[in-house]
Amino acid sequence: MGKIKIRIIVISLIAMMLSLISTTTLAYYQTVGKATNVVTSGNIRFIIHEMTDQGTAFPQEGVYVLPGDVVSKEVTIESDCDHPFYLRVKPVYGVDSQALSAEDCFKLNINEEHWILHDGWYYYKGIVNPGDTTPYVFSHVEIVGAEVDNSYIGKTLTLTVKAQAVQSENNPAVNGEIFNVPGWPAE
Amino acid sequence: MKKLMTVLIALSLALTLALPVAAEDGKVTYSGNAGSFIFEPGGLHSPTDLFPNFKDVMPGDTLSQRITVRNDADNEVKVKIYMRALGAHENSKAFLSQLGLTVEKSPNNDMAYMFDAAASETAQLTDWVCLGTLYSGGEVDLDVILSVPVELDNKYQEQIGYLDWEFMIEEYPIEPGDPQQPTGDAFNQGLWITLATVSLALIILLLILRKKSKENENDATTH
Repeated sequence: MGKIKIRIIVISLIAMMLSLISTTTLAYYQTVGKATNVVTSGNIRFIIHEMTDQGTAFPQEGVYVLPGDVVSKEVTIESDCDHPFYLRVKPVYGVDSQALSAEDCFKLNINEEHWILHDGWYYYKGIVNPGDTTPYVFSHVEIVGAEVDNSYIGKTLTLTVKAQAVQSENNPAVNGEIFNVPGWPAE
Repeated sequence: MKKLMTVLIALSLALTLALPVAAEDGKVTYSGNAGSFIFEPGGLHSPTDLFPNFKDVMPGDTLSQRITVRNDADNEVKVKIYMRALGAHENSKAFLSQLGLTVEKSPNNDMAYMFDAAASETAQLTDWVCLGTLYSGGEVDLDVILSVPVELDNKYQEQIGYLDWEFMIEEYPIEPGDPQQPTGDAFNQGLWITLATVSLALIILLLILRKKSKENENDATTH
């Protein structure tokens, strides 16, 4: 009985040794792994601010005006993206009457130090960097008394500020002519 | 003392902030022994994203991304590493088809451009392409270049494009003619086998001696 026990123990130990050694031998493995890669594109985004000289937002519902009035309305544009851009602004005039024109009813005090007129658009002379707010485009609007006669009584005149931007990265302005850079959206 | 600590902390923070942010590499690591791949660094949109440098791209950008493929399997195997492209996800095809992508091995590149096509395509990587045989600790670098055309349309602002790559390894045993690879692994197989054999021999010897001793005792009791 004792001899049998010893044999079993010896055989077990040898088997353990063999299994220990066999862990260092190799099988042939194949493994596949998948990577899902991501490309994202940036954007150009800005916010138009319209404020009064009291530091409050210009009222959405508008203001009552009389011929010759000068209304405080300071327009600035703030960058809301991570990329620098060129900027242009166009005032668009309107009136709720097909028989009348609003074109000459407004006179804006354009900030010509920072904005230049070209083909109906006011171009910002610099680059708007991320987080920047431009100097004002205009700060006051005069209701031209000579144009706004009695036929405008009870009518609504509108002044809409339209703005467009194009990236300045990879898009240099040759000779500083911002209005000639490629990429301005169609009007 | 507190003041000194405050100054040191402020200084270290300032230095940290002043350091330029280096472009991040992608990493594909095979962990070995039929284990799995680890893809780094991953990102917001995919945990296995290898393209940290291709985010927020703009028209006219040409961006590069290095991806290091590494074999971290143990010293007893060498692996053949392959890759292939599966193309863009269905809803990413329109955007990614606008972008150019090239992939090349570096620096000892013997395959010029492994891939040179629109980012949505599988092109030259439709079938498995072998990147090489890597021993433990071995690496191969891939240089990926993304080109965004300057005339990219406005409608592609704020897009997210997904494209899949697959990696495959085949493990093979090290053969006598293979170069020795330093791995930093301190495991000495010969020493441990010798120790185990000696231990086994000692155990057997002790068991035999113990049995003989018992037999002698039994003999003495009988007489």
